[in-house]
Amino acid sequence: MRLRLLAFGLPAALIAAAVVASASAHTDGVARTAASKTTITFWDSYTPPTETGAFDRVIRQFEKLHPNIVVKPVHFSYNDLQQKLLTATAGGSLPDVLRSDIIWVPQYAKLGVYAPLDKILPGFKRIAKTVYPGPLATNFWHGHYYGLPLDTNTRIQLYSRSALEQAGFNSPPKTFAQMRTMAPKLKEKGIYVFADGGTGGWNVLPWIWSAGGSLTNKTYTKATGYLNSRKSISGVQLLVDLYKEGAIPNLILGASGALQTSDGAPQGKYATILDGPWMFPIWAGSYPNFPPGVARVPAGAGGSVSVVGGEDIAMIKSTKHAAATKAFIQFMLSPSAQLQMAKAGQMPVVKSVGAQLTKIHSYYGTFVKQLATARPRTPSPNWSKIDQVLNTQVANAISGKETTAQALTAAAHQIDGLLK
Amino acid sequence: MLFAVTILYPIGRALEISFYNWNILPGGRSSFVGLHQYGLELHDPIFWRSFANAAFYMAFTVPLQIVLGLAVAVLLDAKIPGRGLFRALYYLPVVTSWVVVSLLFKYLFATYNGFVNWVLQDGIHVTHHPIGWLDTRWPAMITIGLLGVWKGIGWSMLIFLAALQGVPEELKEAATVDGAGAWASFRNVTLPAIRLSIAFVTVMLVIGGFNVFTSAYLMTGGGPQQQTEVILTYMYHQAFQFVDFGYGSALAFTLTLVVFAISLVQMRLYRRKAVGVARWS
Repeated sequence: MRLRLLAFGLPAALIAAAVVASASAHTDGVARTAASKTTITFWDSYTPPTETGAFDRVIRQFEKLHPNIVVKPVHFSYNDLQQKLLTATAGGSLPDVLRSDIIWVPQYAKLGVYAPLDKILPGFKRIAKTVYPGPLATNFWHGHYYGLPLDTNTRIQLYSRSALEQAGFNSPPKTFAQMRTMAPKLKEKGIYVFADGGTGGWNVLPWIWSAGGSLTNKTYTKATGYLNSRKSISGVQLLVDLYKEGAIPNLILGASGALQTSDGAPQGKYATILDGPWMFPIWAGSYPNFPPGVARVPAGAGGSVSVVGGEDIAMIKSTKHAAATKAFIQFMLSPSAQLQMAKAGQMPVVKSVGAQLTKIHSYYGTFVKQLATARPRTPSPNWSKIDQVLNTQVANAISGKETTAQALTAAAHQIDGLLK
Repeated sequence: MLFAVTILYPIGRALEISFYNWNILPGGRSSFVGLHQYGLELHDPIFWRSFANAAFYMAFTVPLQIVLGLAVAVLLDAKIPGRGLFRALYYLPVVTSWVVVSLLFKYLFATYNGFVNWVLQDGIHVTHHPIGWLDTRWPAMITIGLLGVWKGIGWSMLIFLAALQGVPEELKEAATVDGAGAWASFRNVTLPAIRLSIAFVTVMLVIGGFNVFTSAYLMTGGGPQQQTEVILTYMYHQAFQFVDFGYGSALAFTLTLVVFAISLVQMRLYRRKAVGVARWS
């Protein structure tokens, strides 16, 4: 009976087995060279067919310039890539190079998976000067750069012209004050002035920064005194006040089945949302008659400051094909490769390409302007935990469980511990 | 050998990992922290909340599955028309995919555009506002529990049905001859005869209750704001979202110990009762 108890009584151990299995196996997954050519493997989460097609063309250009190198791309969905990277790290079956979400960089740099490019990549300083500083900063951790920005994006204001017109407005709010003024008039028409799908860093940092506040000090070592500063509190307080007035839907608190921002804006229920350039091809398919308006994030005392998104290109430290991998990274940061990917919807990080962007898509112009002041999320291996704290505490403030000052003070205290 | 490889080794490794700030990179340096991760648990409010949620799920689902499973088993033990069909129908939820039914329940209980709220609000007009079934802690835990009960009744029914068929007819007839009614016969003859099956079902359901994962993960993901975390979703988030395998392993090992201890206590209690019944009879 005891044996049976053990056999049935420890299902948690099976999950532990998965943890252990992924933490102990070790296989060499580096691609073998075919004949005299060197094959490097690149993992990404490009969306088929547009992005993967453009990337294939870029690879062919690279292979023409480097006839002895073959690039083998492996495409995943975003979530699969995250899981695959984790298990491959544990299993020692990593690729040579990958397109990494910017928020993974400090985490995998700390684990010793990503190589410090500023130490080993020829011409790193020159390349670094050609890219936007915000996206570049996402690669920095403990004195070194563990990648280079590959593509970037940021959140700007996307708005419904018809929703605004119903309440007598012909342009979206340019400032926090205008948001407050417009909210009641839109509410009278059954329209929310703003909607968002969460309270994490990606969602609330634009409001905190635009209010002149910050999450941490400049060296990312302390949150107390910064996240709970008067200015930071005023940024979150704007969301709290608008929610209390019924001018922001409870989608922001995660209400299940609530109308998503991607549907609410084109349906004219949400006057404004903050989102990225990927929404345009989505809406072109699902709401072809919706021409979204674009504007910068409403400005507060700190100006109009948004959050940097996008991906970095990172070299795996254990690659056996370092020279070929470095050549590929350099090529991906070239204006021609960046321009090719821009045509598929990937915003370039190379500043010189920025001027040509509006010829590709007119809406890129506002994103480029917003990027000039956009900031990265705290580059920390503990970012996921920090984000969880921020998410919970800002939700507590919005739902009225705590005052904004109490919630942000509690968050700052917890984040202090995660920054050590 | 199989037991050692699939059960003992992972437990040992999980225990080892829980003593380190574990670096998942092969050959990477992992710093030894001793019992620090276990100390963290004691001061971690989310751990206690996830433990309380798992305990609530267990306390909510186990009695209902036993009582309803036994009731259905008694009904389907009787010679009624279509008995085979009803047995199959009641067992059907057991063989359906957890993923499919969890997502189905998520849709049914969605605050907006959910079927249940549509019935309550627009169908029978018992509420003017949509109910946030999955948006706050206790309603969400009850909803997750309802899925557990719906999916689990068939399993306990099957065990009880098999046990009921083993109750000697002579005992029931003797009770009837002695003047016992249906309830008295059930209480004094049937229940003692199937007590081992009841013990088995209880132990297994308690273990399963503490190990709730798939439904909670898919229906709420532990949210909103970690209000509906259960121990395994919290462990999953620590290990696979935060890459904190040391703390994740400590959570897994703690759960293993708790479940093991509770199961031992239950078995001793049932054994003592069984001895008592044997002496009495």
